[in-house]
Amino acid sequence: MAASTIDFDAARERISQCIKVSLSSNSFDLIDAQYGNIAGSEGEKKMVFDQSLRDVLKDLILQEKGPKAYIVMIELAISSVYKGFCTPSTPFILLADISEVVTLEVCDDIFKFVETRVETWQEPIFYNAGKNYLLRVCNDLLRRLSQPQCTVFCGRIQLFLARLFPLIERSGLNLMSQFNLDNVTVYNTKDVEGSLKHDEKDESMDYEEGEMGDSMSGTPIDYNLYRKFWSLQDYFRYPVQCYNKEAWRRFGQHSNEVLSAFHSLKLDEVHASKKKLEQMKKDGHRYFAKYLTSEKLFDLQLSDSNFRRYVLLQFLILFQYLNAPVKFKSHILSREENWNTWKNEGCPPFVKEKEDDSEKQVKLPRSRKRSIGEDMKTAGPNKKIDLGSPELTRLWNINPNNFQACQDERRQFVPGVDELFSEAIDQADPAAQIEDEYKLINNSNYAWRALRLLAKKSPHFFQPSTQPCKSIPLYLENMITKLAKEMPAPAEEIKTEDENAETDEFLKTSDDVETPDQSSILTLDQLESVANKLGDNWKTLANELNMSDDEISALQTEHPEVKVQAKEMLLTWQMKEGNSAVKHVLLSALQESGLKDIVESVFPDNEPGDT
Amino acid sequence: MADKFEEDAIMKQRQQLHMTVFSQCFSPCGKFLVTGNNFGRIAVFSLVSALSPDIIEDCRKPILSFQGSSSAIYSLIATDKFLICGGEGDINAWNWSDIYKKTPKVAWSLSVPVDGYFNHPETNCLSYQEKDNLLYSGCGDSNVYVWDLESGTRKNTLKGHKDYIHCLTSRYNGQELMSGSEDGSVRVWDTRTSSEAVHVIEPFKHQECSRPNQGKWIGCIAVDSSDDWMVCGGGPTLTSWHMRSLTPTVVFPTPNICQKHVMFHEDTIISGGTCSNVYHWTINGDMKSCVPCTPTSVYSIAINTHSENNRVLSTCGSGYKVDIFTNFGYRAFSLLFS
Repeated sequence: MAASTIDFDAARERISQCIKVSLSSNSFDLIDAQYGNIAGSEGEKKMVFDQSLRDVLKDLILQEKGPKAYIVMIELAISSVYKGFCTPSTPFILLADISEVVTLEVCDDIFKFVETRVETWQEPIFYNAGKNYLLRVCNDLLRRLSQPQCTVFCGRIQLFLARLFPLIERSGLNLMSQFNLDNVTVYNTKDVEGSLKHDEKDESMDYEEGEMGDSMSGTPIDYNLYRKFWSLQDYFRYPVQCYNKEAWRRFGQHSNEVLSAFHSLKLDEVHASKKKLEQMKKDGHRYFAKYLTSEKLFDLQLSDSNFRRYVLLQFLILFQYLNAPVKFKSHILSREENWNTWKNEGCPPFVKEKEDDSEKQVKLPRSRKRSIGEDMKTAGPNKKIDLGSPELTRLWNINPNNFQACQDERRQFVPGVDELFSEAIDQADPAAQIEDEYKLINNSNYAWRALRLLAKKSPHFFQPSTQPCKSIPLYLENMITKLAKEMPAPAEEIKTEDENAETDEFLKTSDDVETPDQSSILTLDQLESVANKLGDNWKTLANELNMSDDEISALQTEHPEVKVQAKEMLLTWQMKEGNSAVKHVLLSALQESGLKDIVESVFPDNEPGDT
Repeated sequence: MADKFEEDAIMKQRQQLHMTVFSQCFSPCGKFLVTGNNFGRIAVFSLVSALSPDIIEDCRKPILSFQGSSSAIYSLIATDKFLICGGEGDINAWNWSDIYKKTPKVAWSLSVPVDGYFNHPETNCLSYQEKDNLLYSGCGDSNVYVWDLESGTRKNTLKGHKDYIHCLTSRYNGQELMSGSEDGSVRVWDTRTSSEAVHVIEPFKHQECSRPNQGKWIGCIAVDSSDDWMVCGGGPTLTSWHMRSLTPTVVFPTPNICQKHVMFHEDTIISGGTCSNVYHWTINGDMKSCVPCTPTSVYSIAINTHSENNRVLSTCGSGYKVDIFTNFGYRAFSLLFS
């Protein structure tokens, strides 16, 4: 690498010298000789030569040698391309370099040369390499030129482009069917003089003041129609506006008025227009790029058949556009618009919900700890959404935020790697003396779960292995030995299992940090026995436990048996209340609803002081 | 008080629904349009502000409105000094200068002779002759009265029609007066004498234009500037008559439409009647154009010839909207009589 850089600088120096010499002597021999002398691959040589050409050109421009010198330079580059000394794009790059730094006058001379060499540019080697450069040069020039003043030069550039590119060239085509939005039709929308006059008139209707109107045009003008008529031009200019509801309504209204005016206003008499037709045949076709929009002409225009034909044609074009399948382009455009506005707004993230979530969590840390249902309640009664069916309402209102509900720890059904494999690891221990066929790893059900878990959590799963695929039990065994090595000491292992047991019972306890003391927790057995004794009284209890009527009726419809209803009610209550569903709450509720006997029979050890 | 106010508002709304604007005329300065409706109110619109480039809804409303008569106003004409209004009861006049100052007060009034205690004849049409300062009024008692405005007295009474008068027009610089009547006749009077009518034309007796199913009444009459041609219509079809030979020449095809107003304008005849169209005819009877307008029945058409800037055509009739045509070819907008 280092050698070639040294080579590059030296070669560049030498070639630049040669080019300078050959420019003055007009012979290629020296370059030929030098080019052969450079050591290096063909690509490297070309690169050196390209760079040298640009260096020489830079010197020429700095010395302000004038357009002729530049043209000779480009000619040299062209012949170098033929000889294979430099890349085909080099002449164009030189051209771009020149046109970027010289004045427009010099550009004019250079462009004359460019025009004369159209055939050269169209040769296959040049065309593919240089068409984009040429286009860019031309466009840059067009941008620099003053449109109204340098019309000739602008026109020459356009003509050149037309000659350069074949007719089927698509680059000039308006593929996206974009509209020329610059073609704005200007018309008189305000008349300061008029409003002034109006104000004065309001005070009194003096003869003299009314006289002011005489300074205006000869005939009265219907400004209402005049404005509506010309406002339509904006829709013709940019038909996508029709997809805007309000704009479309206005368009319909205005065009209705214009068309009804057309309908009622008769055109100039037929024989008169016949005369005009003959005249037109003599004059050739008349064409106006722009409408004349003076309000004084409006009356004449309305009765002019040619004018009317133009306008009606515009209507037809618009309607055809609206009907045509080009329609979808507009949707592309609107998507483009959305894209642009998104970028303009500094690319705001789309995941807004997450932010809100974190905020909520910060705001309500306590209620989060308690229970999901409680969340709803603290959020306010207004947030409760009635979904029609009581059961749906209940489900929905368990948690106002579905994402949060899904992320709830209780919904983590996937066991940890340690949990799942601890038993298998134990079995793998030869000391356990378990026969192969009873080992968990031979259980296909277990193997499937194990593989999935490994794929999800274990880095070992993705370790590259050149060995052919073994049978799954063998593979698992291998994995288990690997995992066993990573496992913490067996003492801790037992502890994790304890935790597992606790989480299994999440119906009774909750994942809370501050678990209530064991005595106040209601066991499933206790609940069941309460439910059995409740009978039809469960509804009064439910009311006492602040269950809604919706929930009660839902339970009734779901379960035909009274016992099941009662039990479900208690379970629902427990789920809803979470940590606050402790024994003494239930007991006080039972007592309130006059079911003391149940209290005594189910909770015999309960002291009255507890409640 | 509140109730009274509310009642007034409801009354106004109802009146608007049942309004018919029978008559209109332009002020001598050409900047105002004066209209009178069936409730006896006169509304003055400013054409200058209605035609101004900044379109404000208020421009379409009258700048002044006042009670011109106790009930319907059938005829309005403008002289250089006065606005004269004829309807049920007296003929009233206002000074234009007062109207310009927005303080209209009745300058003078002429009382139509009363035939019997309960019978107040209405004035259906007015015509003014500038040379002798005479005012002709066609009345419901089948008479045409001639008033001398100089002295304010009734100079003459032209009797002969057998039913009430619909329309009046003068010819030969006011020497001859023509009147159309419900009895189906057009009578030509020599205003210098008080004798019988000079000629009587009865269009319903001519087969070309008679329409028995529409009646024989003559609703409108107009004479061209050469005084040779007269156009009249109504029950019979709109027809132009050669006045020297008193023969119908051209029948304008208006099937089932009775013309209520006709006028000559330059080389066209403009007419309107019991349909919401204004017709433009050539003298030969070809329809030039048929321009839709708002009123379902047109009672009056007027062209403002006093001011070139505000040279508009306006039509009024059933409904509270007075249509303005800037270019006579289409309805530009409507003024709202409220």
